[in-house]
Order: sequence, then C-alpha cells, then structure tokens
Amino acid sequence: MKNIVIGRYIPGNSFLYRMDPRTKIIALIVLMVAVFMIPREAFEMMFVGLGLILILLLIGKISIKRVYLGLRPLMFLLLFTFVFQILFNKTGPELQAWTLNYSFLNIAVIVAIVVFWMYTKRFIKAKFIYLILMIIAIITVLNQLTLGPIFATRQLVVHEDALMIGFFIMMRLIIIVTLSTVLTLSTKPTDLNLGLEAVMKPLKYLRINTEEMAMIISISLRYIPTLLDEANKIMLAQASRGVDFSEGKLKDKVMQIISLLVPMFIISFKRSDELANAMEARCFVPGATRTRLHQLFWSRLDTISLVTSIIILIGSIAVRVVT
Amino acid sequence: MAIKFKKVDFKYQGNDNKAYLALSNITLNIKAEGEFITLIGETGSGKTTLVQHMNALLTPLSGDVEIFGVKINRENVKKKRVKLNPIRQQVGLVFQFPEYQLFEETILKDIIFGPKNFGVDEKTAIERAKNVIKVVGLDESYLSRSPFNLSGGEKKRVSIAGILAMEPDILILDEPTSGLDPLGRNALLDVFYNIHTKLNKTIIIITHDMNTVYEYAKRVLVMRDSYLVYDGDPIELFTKKNIENWNLDVPDLLHLINQIETDLNLKLPKKPRNETELFTQLKAVLK
Repeated sequence: MKNIVIGRYIPGNSFLYRMDPRTKIIALIVLMVAVFMIPREAFEMMFVGLGLILILLLIGKISIKRVYLGLRPLMFLLLFTFVFQILFNKTGPELQAWTLNYSFLNIAVIVAIVVFWMYTKRFIKAKFIYLILMIIAIITVLNQLTLGPIFATRQLVVHEDALMIGFFIMMRLIIIVTLSTVLTLSTKPTDLNLGLEAVMKPLKYLRINTEEMAMIISISLRYIPTLLDEANKIMLAQASRGVDFSEGKLKDKVMQIISLLVPMFIISFKRSDELANAMEARCFVPGATRTRLHQLFWSRLDTISLVTSIIILIGSIAVRVVT
Repeated sequence: MAIKFKKVDFKYQGNDNKAYLALSNITLNIKAEGEFITLIGETGSGKTTLVQHMNALLTPLSGDVEIFGVKINRENVKKKRVKLNPIRQQVGLVFQFPEYQLFEETILKDIIFGPKNFGVDEKTAIERAKNVIKVVGLDESYLSRSPFNLSGGEKKRVSIAGILAMEPDILILDEPTSGLDPLGRNALLDVFYNIHTKLNKTIIIITHDMNTVYEYAKRVLVMRDSYLVYDGDPIELFTKKNIENWNLDVPDLLHLINQIETDLNLKLPKKPRNETELFTQLKAVLK
C-alpha cells in the first residue's frame, strides 16, 4: 500500500522544485507529445528518451527507487501489452518459431506447474520474475514434451515487428509514467492546482469553468494518500474480525474486497461532504474572483527548461520527418 | 500469561522517509483471566499501536510479542511460520471508529461476519447476534436495519457487538465511550464490567476519562512518548505528585475525597472507588 507513489509529494531541493508549476505542466505536455512523435520505425530513439529521463532524474535529485516503485503497479499492464503484441502481431520477418504440442498429458503438466506456482509464489520475493519464469516453463513444456497422443499442434511464431513494437510501447508507457511521476513528486498539490488553473485559462473562452476543474483535480490528487491510509485502517479493522487479506479462496476474496470497498465508499462520501462544509465555512464560493496568497513567478530557469523541452520536441519531430 | 511483550519497539514510516517512534522498549504481561486494565496517555503516545500489537495486526520492529503461546516477531511473520488469524478470535479488538468496519446490508449480517470468518456456523452466529445486540443495549429490532442509518453511538454499539459475537477470551476496546452520552457511557462500561465479573475475562480499555480509570480499573497502564511509564494500581497512580507531567488529571471523586479529608480533618481507612463506598466509609468514620 505504501509503495503507491502516484500523486504523492516528496519534499526535496533541486531545480525541479524551484521551477514554476506552469512550466512543469507545459513541459510535461510538450515532452509527452515528443514521446508520441517518435515513429515506430525509429524505436532506437526510445533509448535516447530513456537516457534523457535518467539524466533528468539525476540532476533533479529524484531517487530512481521512488520512480521504480511508482512503475511497479504498471508491470502487469506492461507485460500484458508485450505478450499481446507477440501473440497477435504477425508482420515483419520471422525471428523464431516454436511448435506447441497439445496433448492431455502436456495440459496436465501445465496445470501442475500453475498450481505449483500459485502455492509457491508467496515465498518468492521477485514475484514478477517468477511469473515470467512460469510462462517460459509452460511454453517449454508445450514445445519439448510430447507425452501421449497429441490432438493439436500450433506454431508460436515470434516476428521481429512484434518484439520491436512490444518493446516500443513498453518504453513509451514507462517514459510517460515517469514524467508524470516526476511532476507530482516535485510539485506541492497547491502549486499544482495553481499551475493547472493558469495553464487551462484559455479554455475559459470555450465556457469551461477552469477554476473548478483545477480544484477538482487538485482535491483528488490530494486525497489519494489520505484514502490509502484509510484503506489501510479498514483492512486492519476487518483483519481483526478474521478477514485474511493475504489468503483465501476466490469466494472469500470477493467478500474481502466488499468488506474493504463498502466502508471505503462510505468514508469517501463522508469526507467529501465534510470537506465541502469546511470550504463553505471558510466562505468558499465557486467561481468568485480571488486573490492569491502564492503568486507564480516566471524565472530564467523556467525559460531554459521550456526551451529545452521544445528543442526535444523539435528533435523528435525531425526524427519522424526523416524516417 | 496470555499476552507477553518483551522489549518491543515499533516505528511508523512517515511520508518524508523519517521514522516516527510509536513504541519503545515495551515489556508487559497480561493474564488471560481476571484483569480489568485501562490504558491511558496523551494522544499520539502509542496506545492504539500497542493494542494493535496485542491483536497481531502489527508486527514489532524488534523484540517479540507472545499471544496465547504464539510468538510474533519480525522473522516469524516474514517467513509465515505463525498463523495470525486464530489470535484475532482469541483477542477481540474494537476499533475507535466504527465506520471502518461496518459494511453489510443489515446489522445482523455485520455482527455474524466476524464469527463466520472464524468458522462458526450461521445458526449459532445468529443466536449470538441476538444475544449480543441486547448486551450492548439495543433491541432485536435493530438486527434487520442498515448499519449506515444509525447515530454515532448506535454504530459504536453495533461495532462492539460484532466483536463480542466472536466470543474472544480477551476484549480490547479503543476508546469505546467516545461519542456517547453520559448515560449510554455508563451503561456500556457496566456491560464491560459485567463481562469481566461474570465470565472472568480480561478487558483492556483505552480511555481519556480518568473517572472510568478510577472507578473500574484494577490495573492501569500509562503511555507517554512511546514509552510505558506506569504499570500498576490506579489509586497509587493518582496519589502521585507529578501526574500532570503525563498530561493526566486527578479523577473527580478523588478530588472530592481529598477535599473532604482536608476540610473535615479526617482520614478514610481505604480510598473509596465510587460514591457508595465513599458514603459508607464516611458514615463509619463520622459516627
């Protein structure tokens, strides 16, 4: 629970912390566009992108471990997109082909492997690597063993494009999530709110209430850690009534999740109600013009950062044009 | 001894990677039967952390806790050598805020949720629910109501009923009387006292009310800044000079007794624990 860092501000002292939130938000958007500009054909450029991110983390004094912890919940999504690409993308030259033999005995062996994995995974620390190992083991069994009568054979063909695109999409996700983690790690929620509001100002001409939207976004970011703490407390309270969140059958698991979610919803509604009252008690009127306690200042650092991000964007556009 | 703490330390990890000390060097023994303990101390002194250790919800950072023979320390829990769930049936813990545990459609379902998790069959669990709802001072008609349309005090009672239905050997209550009116508070304290006297079960109550401590407790634990600074008799505690340093206060009755003793210039043979005792002693002395 504590490892989820999305939306958590970690105090620090580096140029990232001194930057104007507006610059950070615009730079984030510019860099994201830059990442999306890189065409699939030039997937080597992703390494350049990754290198730039690492440099940013190093000179921004943001611990790579923190960012890694933020990426960890995404691991399964990343693996899923990768596997999906390999299974269904059938373009480009063939790299490697495996014959998969399906027989009843083979399937029995696979079931045994899955059961073994399910029972032993709790003792293994590197769960993700263990999952990959299990998938490799299953493929090897299907490929090598020919026990009993085979009733179907299939080819598992890995194409170069599949590997490349899978890798490409993975990199793209990692870079984008890292960039946004850097933003939330280095910006206080209040500053983020101010920045968002300023950046979204042009939307006013489309009759969109930007102030309210900025408020909604910043409140939800602010409440992520609070709600996580609440979830932790609820889990303790239910654990004391015999709910074992670490084990149990599927049917029990459903009950466990309900016992966590219902109080969670009730508490969130109550909290939002209380927050609304507290805001009204301090004379918050939606849409009223307000003066600010914190003024945003544009410094030379911001100009340099923004120019750098735009140069990176131009670079990636150039790569797209060239290839 | 049912619960044994041996040099237990615990720290919370803050957002800024600083560690906040919650328990330091706690050594403590609690019997399974016949104890009525109150745990007091200023807010943030580690009371809740301490009782969560008694329920094996938290694992000590160093040192070990032994609950009904099950040794809980970092190593045992990490390697999953011990089963924690049965402990939670033996030691029932009622949390401070009932909102954290109520989730079912009806109060009946919510009360039987705990017992069913510990393998009690539904029929017995319903029997117990019908019984405990009366014990906490509500009537059976509540069982079919939703736990969310209740007042704060009623929610509190339902959450206590949910733990009582598990029939734990030791009952721990984290501020059970906060948010209750005076009458309801006394009624509930009497419920705990009755459970204690009739079934001879050990009860541990976290409270900020010195009167409760003085009237009911046989033993009092005082926490301050993560240390256990006092473990012993309540009368002895309150006759100490420097209890203000621990952010504690002398109970009303003791104030009254001290006033009577100085003004009337007499000495009561034994410090009375409630009004009735005070008056019987006074009558005897004044005769």
